[in-house]
Amino acid sequence: MLVLLAVCTRSTLAAEADAAALIARLARPAPANTRFVEARFSSLLARPLVVSGQLTYFAPDHLVRRVDEPFRELMTIRGEEVVVERDGEQPVRFSLKRAPELLGMLSSFGALLAGDRTLLDRHFRSSLSGDDVRWRLVLTPTSDRVRQKLGSIHVDVERDAVRCFTLVEPDGDASLMLLGDTAPATRPEPLERGWLEALCSGVAP
Amino acid sequence: MNRRPGLVLLLGWLVAIGALGWYVRHELVVGADLRLYLPSPRNEEQRLLLEEVGQGPASRLLLICLEGAEPALLAEMSQAMVGTLRSDPRFRFVGNGGADLGGLPDELLPYRYLLTPAFDDQPLDSTLLAKEMRNRLKDLASPAAGIIEEWIRRDPTLEILRLAQAWQPSQGPQRLHDVWFSRRGDAALLLAETTAAGFDPGKQQEAMREIERAFATARRDRGARITVTGAGAFSVMMQERTQREATLIGTVDSVAMILLLVIAYGSARSVALGVLPLASGGLAGLAAVTACFGVVHGITLAYGFTLIGVAQDYPIHLLSHQHRGITPLDNAQAIWPTLATGVAGTCIAYLAFLFSGVNGLAQLAVFAIAGLAVAGLTTRILLPRLMSPDTRDCGASEMLGRLSDTVDRLPRPRWLSAVVASACLAVILLAPWPLWESNLGALTPVPQSVLQQDAALRSELGAPDMRYLLVVHGRSAEQVLQRSESLTPRLDALVEGRRLASYSNPARYLPSVRTQEMRRAALPGPGELREAVTEAASGTPFKPGVFDQFIADVARARELRPLTPQSATRTPLGARLESLLTERGGNWTGLITLGGVRQPNALARLAGSAENDVVMLDLKAVSEGLVAQQREHILRALTVAAFLLVAVVGIALRSAPRAARVLQPMILSTLLVLAVMHASGISLTLFHLMALVLAAGLGLDYALFFERAANDPIERRRTLHAVIVCSISTFIVFAVIAASSLPVLRGIGLTVTLGVVANFLFALLLARSGSQATDARA
Repeated sequence: MLVLLAVCTRSTLAAEADAAALIARLARPAPANTRFVEARFSSLLARPLVVSGQLTYFAPDHLVRRVDEPFRELMTIRGEEVVVERDGEQPVRFSLKRAPELLGMLSSFGALLAGDRTLLDRHFRSSLSGDDVRWRLVLTPTSDRVRQKLGSIHVDVERDAVRCFTLVEPDGDASLMLLGDTAPATRPEPLERGWLEALCSGVAP
Repeated sequence: MNRRPGLVLLLGWLVAIGALGWYVRHELVVGADLRLYLPSPRNEEQRLLLEEVGQGPASRLLLICLEGAEPALLAEMSQAMVGTLRSDPRFRFVGNGGADLGGLPDELLPYRYLLTPAFDDQPLDSTLLAKEMRNRLKDLASPAAGIIEEWIRRDPTLEILRLAQAWQPSQGPQRLHDVWFSRRGDAALLLAETTAAGFDPGKQQEAMREIERAFATARRDRGARITVTGAGAFSVMMQERTQREATLIGTVDSVAMILLLVIAYGSARSVALGVLPLASGGLAGLAAVTACFGVVHGITLAYGFTLIGVAQDYPIHLLSHQHRGITPLDNAQAIWPTLATGVAGTCIAYLAFLFSGVNGLAQLAVFAIAGLAVAGLTTRILLPRLMSPDTRDCGASEMLGRLSDTVDRLPRPRWLSAVVASACLAVILLAPWPLWESNLGALTPVPQSVLQQDAALRSELGAPDMRYLLVVHGRSAEQVLQRSESLTPRLDALVEGRRLASYSNPARYLPSVRTQEMRRAALPGPGELREAVTEAASGTPFKPGVFDQFIADVARARELRPLTPQSATRTPLGARLESLLTERGGNWTGLITLGGVRQPNALARLAGSAENDVVMLDLKAVSEGLVAQQREHILRALTVAAFLLVAVVGIALRSAPRAARVLQPMILSTLLVLAVMHASGISLTLFHLMALVLAAGLGLDYALFFERAANDPIERRRTLHAVIVCSISTFIVFAVIAASSLPVLRGIGLTVTLGVVANFLFALLLARSGSQATDARA
């Protein structure tokens, strides 16, 4: 029994060291810029909504999400405040607290781009699967309040680059964000969640 | 004097005082409605003014400001406070700008299609729905979709959100972290409307305490400050400060008086007895007010005791004139004509206030008249039977003798009165600023710094300002709502043109039945709506059937009977409406509150062009008119009182020259005090006027006694002693009051202090004629 415990502890420690090392490889200097294609699946919708644009990470409390297609929208998170601007409309402001999904996205983004495992642990319980080349990090928010709106975040990584960033809501709705070159130029119609997930895990669909 | 009857008499007197005290304790109800001290309204505008001042929506608003911590923390505290206070019955409404989707109870939700103006210009058809759906898709595509996702099925056009925003009492302040913040972003702002009227310090105090408790809970141990302003907060603050200062002043004055009496008479017995007439007078005054009015205002109590402080002079006269060789009873009888003339004269002056048309002043008058009469009578009848006949003879004092001689040798130029009077009149008439204070606010004296803070918060919050108001009249609630609806486009134009920052009319919360019926009739039938939804959703990713709840809500709205003020009573809307829409004797009145009025003329034009049913109320102008009207009334009454006073003095002295000698010092002193105050830029209020009458009453007393003792040098010394003790005691009492931080008390204190000095000096010089004294000695 004692031996078993010792083994477990050692292997956990080893895994810990591995995870920290893997995450450290994701570090990028700010500001970090990446293109994204996001597909949102909702119980209200028969097929996902797909938007594309650019994400710019300036600092742990400053993120800009620009949508270019199929409409233009600029979302700026700065400190505790979120501002959404659309062409021809008054900007809408709200508090980050009202959008736990955004808060989860921002804090995980920040921790990953800092390559900082301990920062990640502040907001999430994490579990790692996969191998050295392709791995997936599943983040579960530790805050009950955030977990009511955001079940978990899946981060799919290939080597030192994040391929996909998936926000899974407790009711099963999800938004999959394909980063950088992950998104192919063409997509099948109708777009299936399975196809996207396969793309994220790096298995060619 | 036989000791035993004296003891019985003393006991009887004390028992009577005790009985009066018991009666007052059990029957006296202390009121706090400041309107008791405001003039009674003479017309509709003034009636509205007084109602608005005490009970209107603006006077029920408390403006709350949280600062001194990180904005995010402040926002959190603001949210926590709203959570706590919303469920408190002491508040009709508590808001911090947070869009509260849950603000409408479930059974009211279908009413949104009768309440919203969104489909007035544009029918709820497939075109509109298609546009709204495109917007909802954009919302859904954002990572913040969770905020509204749950509402989209039932409310694809987000009417609930739109209404919740329209019902915010203020559209002004910026929102940070979802709640209202100041322009500089360093203070979180909240608004609370109390259930209790603004000038109900008791209830307001409970509300304030609740706010502070909610703040303490929300703050926990984080550093942050709270500031609360508004009419209610002011009345609480003034009540607390008045009480605190009145207690302090009362204590200091009592100690000073007792010390002075001990020094003056060197006998504890004299001092103890000397207090009894004032105590009897005070309690009798209270009992009289209680019996006549039932509810006595706190101000009446505070100022009433100040006014009857004169009564302390009565036993002083008796004590100072007492000496071996005359029994106290004979002494009392000897000075009684003089004393009685003084008492009667002062009472006549207060009689003027009895007919002032101001309930509070009438209370003060009853208090003063009853108190002075009782103090005078007890000094005449009871006190002499208890006094020791051989007290120290003040007439034997060498020092007083020398002082008396010095005073006699003072020059008394004949031209003195004429010169002083004309100089004073010149100052009063020629100084260019107004003699009188017309601002009603000066009667409810809140320190300037606090008022500025309130004005700043008010403008930040876009809360209705206290000055302008549109009043809509009608025979029914429906008529008022229709009329206020018809003003909406023109008010909107004024806001657009920046002539007005904001407004709030009853129809914003509850449209007229006519409008609701019109909207109901315009709603599409279930079949038609289903088709429109299907058409709008075709080509969008929305699942079929997603909007079934929405279609059901609209179908229910088509069956609803329009909301009326009655049927809305128990809803959050009813609470908002209560203060904006009121009924009185079958007539309905709607109030349109205005914020940031930049062009009153534009509003006056708007009201003028809307026939006779809309009135613009400039509360400042109306209140100034009211104050001026009341002042004229009181001045007229005072003029009558002055003639009566001259008649009383003339009859009592049976000689015109003697009466003139007695009246001159009082008139000159009053003119001098008026001139000094006017020259130093102090605008006179009713309270100054009361103080002037008080000082004149004192002057009359001094002059009467000086004039009475014009011939006997020893008696002259005794009178000099009496008047010196009287004036020093009054001087001390009112000098302490003048040091108060409350403007009203300071005004009274200053006026009387000045008045006492002037009256003493003029009485000494003019009533105590030196030439006669020289004749007598020669």
